[in-house]
Amino acid sequence: MSLFTRNVLISLIITGLIIGTVVYAVNYLNQQRVQELTSIENQLSTDTLSVETQFSLLESAPCENFTSTSSEDTTFSQELSSLGDKLSYAENHLGANDAQVTQLKQEYTLLEIRDYILTKQLSKTCHLKPNVVLYFYSNSDAECKQSCGRAAYNLSYLHQIDPSLRVYSFDYNLDLAALKTLESIEKVQPQFPAFVINGKQVYGFTSLDNFETNFPKGMFGTTTAATSTSTTSKK
Amino acid sequence: MIDLSAWTYPILFITLFFETFLLVTYLSKPARERRNKVVSDFTPPVAIVVPCYNEQDTIKGTIDSLLALDYPKDKLQIVLVNDGSKDNTAAVMDSYVGTPQILVIHKENGGKHSALNMGIEAATSAEYIGGLDADSFVAPDALREIIGYFDNPRIAAVTAAMSVYEPKNILQAMQNAEYIMGIALRHILAAVNGLYVTPGPFSFYRRDLVLELGGFRKAHNAEDMEMALRMQRAGYLIDNAPRARVYTTAPMTVRALIKQRTRWTTGFVRNVLYDYRDMLGNRKFGALGLLVLPLGVLAIVAGLFLFFLVIIQVITQIISTYTLIRGVPLSYSLVPHFSNLGWYYIPLTAVAMLGTIITLGTIGLIVVGKRISNTPSRLFSGIVAFMFLYGLIAPFWLMRTILDVMTGTRRSWR
Repeated sequence: MSLFTRNVLISLIITGLIIGTVVYAVNYLNQQRVQELTSIENQLSTDTLSVETQFSLLESAPCENFTSTSSEDTTFSQELSSLGDKLSYAENHLGANDAQVTQLKQEYTLLEIRDYILTKQLSKTCHLKPNVVLYFYSNSDAECKQSCGRAAYNLSYLHQIDPSLRVYSFDYNLDLAALKTLESIEKVQPQFPAFVINGKQVYGFTSLDNFETNFPKGMFGTTTAATSTSTTSKK
Repeated sequence: MIDLSAWTYPILFITLFFETFLLVTYLSKPARERRNKVVSDFTPPVAIVVPCYNEQDTIKGTIDSLLALDYPKDKLQIVLVNDGSKDNTAAVMDSYVGTPQILVIHKENGGKHSALNMGIEAATSAEYIGGLDADSFVAPDALREIIGYFDNPRIAAVTAAMSVYEPKNILQAMQNAEYIMGIALRHILAAVNGLYVTPGPFSFYRRDLVLELGGFRKAHNAEDMEMALRMQRAGYLIDNAPRARVYTTAPMTVRALIKQRTRWTTGFVRNVLYDYRDMLGNRKFGALGLLVLPLGVLAIVAGLFLFFLVIIQVITQIISTYTLIRGVPLSYSLVPHFSNLGWYYIPLTAVAMLGTIITLGTIGLIVVGKRISNTPSRLFSGIVAFMFLYGLIAPFWLMRTILDVMTGTRRSWR
């Protein structure tokens, strides 16, 4: 065997090993990401249960206790938001059809719905008026690809201006009974991006100025425009 | 829509394979023996031909460096061939008339190949003939380093270790890093007889063989490449002396660099695809036919493909980012959001990891080139420039090459 042939064969083997190692490393990292998500979800699940239990235990005077533990509530929201970011990153890297991603999304969606219900209960009991946005997107809708990304980015911006704004994002087509029930209760149509802003349905996203008109005046420290965003209907 | 980025994988695979091949060959016995070769006492009669055309500023330095070579004076002839220069080159050359070792020839302009041939014809007493471009300078021990490699009668030519003479700007520093990587490449590929060019600066040949093969040809303005291919086709070997240091001046402007490289690359394409197509993919020519020449052609196509892919991706990213952030104050958009930091978000994709490995391999080749040649040069800025600038400039000479070849455009040497 010539030196050239021998070196080509050795090089092919080494190249194969390097590529195999890289593929293994990438898969390992992705698995670690999924494990990190699972770990956060487990923690959040426990936290949710804890808050719900607290709420039940302190039925006589829940508001005092929950306002006094508002910092925990904020931490919870931040963690939920962080989990959402990580899940979105995992979805982009592993693919929207990845079984693990889908399962994690289902669990995350359940957590969001439970947090949403809790927020509603607290608001009702304690006479609070939090600003809540339910945001629905679709991975299978071609038009949504761009407008939904923009809507999500603008929502992140609005949340940064006013951290009290609670934003819950949902994949409209996710196969989850609780989500379907929520969509049905909130009467959300499959037109994307779709929002339920403080109980009012809003469809489409044209501009930030228009979008801000759906919130109480002056909420974000800017003058709201007279026109409203796309199609809206009262619940 | 076709996902063009999927083609990145075969390119990465081939590049990684080639770098691995270089590493394996570098570690193999023939390459090790070449590196450890001691300077021999073999001092046959040699002649060095310096073809000149309008080199008034550099020719004196070139001649002086040749006169300073550590070689028996009675066995070294320097043949200066003025190829019809229009500047003061002839006068500078004539100032050396009377120096025993030097022969000065003036002729009508006929191209570098014709000047080389005239010099070779004139050097009748030489067994070995070297060429040296009139903008290059040699280290005193370079000739002794080279001559020792002619210890096998099948070796038709030996190439030197080129680097850039005193890089003065970032572009020259970039070329210096590239040239020094070339030292490593030539050293390694010589071990499997994979050299396809005997560069103008200080390559040596067996004189009788050059004459037997018919001397140099114009060869699409790439006479050094054509001669190497002709020797390879005739069944000879081309070796490399990694410590035979020669310094050449490199283009100082992007425009000049693109012009020079377009000439080199069109010369490569026309020689390989037109005149020596039979060698491409031919098992008879081993590493040269099966690996070096096909990869040389592929590199042109892949280089352009990757350039356009990156351009498309950058434009797409800019449009999509603009669409995303439109309407949101820049005070939010431009500020980095640290919530996305941490190991979780490290973009360790297969492409990024393979790209990093290949980049490290490239840097490794440059370091190896410097070490085996003992080239006294500071490389950091050159390596940085090579990593970030080369990919931005090279596509322009690749595009020009393809256009020239397709349209049959012939450009002047300068």
